[in-house]
Amino acid sequence: MYSTEQHLLPPSISQIVRWMWRWSVCPVAVSRGYMPFCSTQQKPHQANPSPISQVTHRPGNQLTLCSLLKMGFSETQAKEMHEGATKSRGKHVHSVLTALLLLGLNPSSILKIMQKCPEVYSLKGADLQQRIDHLRKMGLVEGVSLSVPLFPGSLQRMISRYPKVMLLPVKRVNMVSRLLREKCLFTIHQATDILRDSPEVLEQDLSKLEYKFQYAYFRMGVRQPEMVKAKLFRLSLSELRCRHCFLEQRGLYQTPDKKGQTLILNPPLKDILCVSEETYLVQVAMADADEFHVFRKLMAREQEEEGREDEYSSDEELEEDKDDDEDDDGLHRRKRHWNTGYKKDRK
Amino acid sequence: MAASVLTRFCINKSKGSIRFIQRRYRVKTKWAATRPTFPATELALHNFDTSYSIQLRDLWPSIRVAMLSEQKYGALINSFSSAPNVITELEAQGCKDFISIDCTRNEVHQSSLDSMTSHRDSAELDPAALQPSMSPDIKCLVFPKGDISRFNPARPDSSGILGYYLLDAASVLPVLALDVQPGHTVLDLCAAPGGKTLALLQTHSVNHLWANDLSGSRTMRLRRTLQSYLPKEFLEENKIHITSTDGRQLGMTEEKSFERVLVDVPCTTDRHSAMVEENNIFKRSRTKERQKLPLLQTQLLLAGIQATRGGGNIVYSTCSLSQLQNECVVQQAISLAQQELGITVQVQDLRWFAQCFSDTFHFAPQLSVGELVLPHLCANFGPIYMCKLQRMN
Repeated sequence: MYSTEQHLLPPSISQIVRWMWRWSVCPVAVSRGYMPFCSTQQKPHQANPSPISQVTHRPGNQLTLCSLLKMGFSETQAKEMHEGATKSRGKHVHSVLTALLLLGLNPSSILKIMQKCPEVYSLKGADLQQRIDHLRKMGLVEGVSLSVPLFPGSLQRMISRYPKVMLLPVKRVNMVSRLLREKCLFTIHQATDILRDSPEVLEQDLSKLEYKFQYAYFRMGVRQPEMVKAKLFRLSLSELRCRHCFLEQRGLYQTPDKKGQTLILNPPLKDILCVSEETYLVQVAMADADEFHVFRKLMAREQEEEGREDEYSSDEELEEDKDDDEDDDGLHRRKRHWNTGYKKDRK
Repeated sequence: MAASVLTRFCINKSKGSIRFIQRRYRVKTKWAATRPTFPATELALHNFDTSYSIQLRDLWPSIRVAMLSEQKYGALINSFSSAPNVITELEAQGCKDFISIDCTRNEVHQSSLDSMTSHRDSAELDPAALQPSMSPDIKCLVFPKGDISRFNPARPDSSGILGYYLLDAASVLPVLALDVQPGHTVLDLCAAPGGKTLALLQTHSVNHLWANDLSGSRTMRLRRTLQSYLPKEFLEENKIHITSTDGRQLGMTEEKSFERVLVDVPCTTDRHSAMVEENNIFKRSRTKERQKLPLLQTQLLLAGIQATRGGGNIVYSTCSLSQLQNECVVQQAISLAQQELGITVQVQDLRWFAQCFSDTFHFAPQLSVGELVLPHLCANFGPIYMCKLQRMN
């Protein structure tokens, strides 16, 4: 029925449920069902494994080189995987790998993921599956139209690029998503895009995340669609501040006034953030690299000194941006009260 | 509708502290509905953006960011201090005396040029004009280009005299250009707070120094500075005469009395005005004062010219980038001196001077008269404008 070639289309939901049930009863029954890389169909004695003999083996011990080869890993890959698995002493590596394979990732991608993030070995298969399902529910696999079969691009890409996302509990992902939607007022679509493009946000401190948003919104006058396009959350706050303040102090960027107007045309955010430093310096800032490096050093020192000042005051509020003396009083007022003015009316 | 705002105190919400606001910052509750929305620093920057983007074109963004960033200082060594290791301690931190370095390099370059020109007849290279003629005793240490280290405050030695004076290193340049020779009588027309005055005294060539400033409080500051840096014996020698009068009067009362005159006029202090709100000259209440500055500056320079002996030097300097306060004032003063007073004044070329120090400072290219040090993040000194004149009759 199934050939040994690898399919990249993910299984349907009902199939997943069936397999999970099967695994919970018989953890070894990888050889049955839809495992295209398994050629065990030809081996009749494995078609009906005796439950008793199989159950007595603990799942972790099943990760033999042989089973890895069956999954589709080459010999060298399998050896490396096995080494990594034994080093990590993960007990459920088999189910973890299966979950990843289910996702449609090929063996070399999986190996790269494990190399990038060996903690994945220590996960539990069920946990991992739950997290993957949650991400899927959040829209990371949602296709553009219903007539086209689900294109599994974004979820695989995200996990391959940022394997650490698998280590994060569902609750954490939810908290970040809620912050983006409720406090930063991104649409669900935008929030998904942010998670897909910058999964690093899932690990960041929530208040720092919110501060970065506030910086872009109030200090730079940028709105949500532009933030998503420019992949704002990929950059650290210090780099964002550095690039923005350099432009501002050169007179090339202005904070919009209350009506959203500026005297000059601000360069779009993606032209500032999404380019390499050389391109930024040549095309946007029109400055030398030496100048920018000195500026960065000065900013870093300023931030450090402000941080030390804040330590001495018993103040729990977010660190205020004291960079520019030209800040309007109105700007600070807006920023400080942004929680009250910004929440949607719940009527 | 006027806001009922208590203006004497301001509650800092983030720190929960109460600050007393001085009278000159308070808002008139009767008429104001909100706090002033345009701080003077913003007005200053707007003024600069409008005029300097045209005057300096492509150079302006780099200057602007440098003026808004932390300034770089130089340590003017106080040779009157008895502390033995002031220079070595500072050099251990990584800074160097830019005056001796730039001069020796220029001399080496000169000697190699001289050996070349001795075989040729070249009209452009005039060794005599290119020979740096400046007081060698002034020492000012700065950190290298791109280094943002700060100086520690100077410590007093056994007699309470401080080892060095922290100032914008570019401020020393007008004093160097003045070229005080031994036995000279020097007039510093607008001396306070005293950095350049101190540098003049470091030359050890001043026979008599007259330091004047209009403001009484600033003259007090000048006195205090000199007391912190000069030994009592020196101050008692009566070599220094400090007055607090209008410099414009000195032109007539002290005609032809000085070999060297330094006219460091009050200006819009561009860097200071862009950063510091307090008593900013760009605030609306001081608009008339600011608009009359070029006239005041011309009058002061004329007075300085009048006070100079024949053959003496005058150096005019400001800390502004504005053409109206720099080149225009000099040219106006020269023509007025000729027409109204019959005094012929010649501009002395400072191009060699700028070339000599071009490794430490960024100079503006091709000014019509004088030299201008531009702020740049890698060498964040200035802005300082200077022009050297010589009285011919």
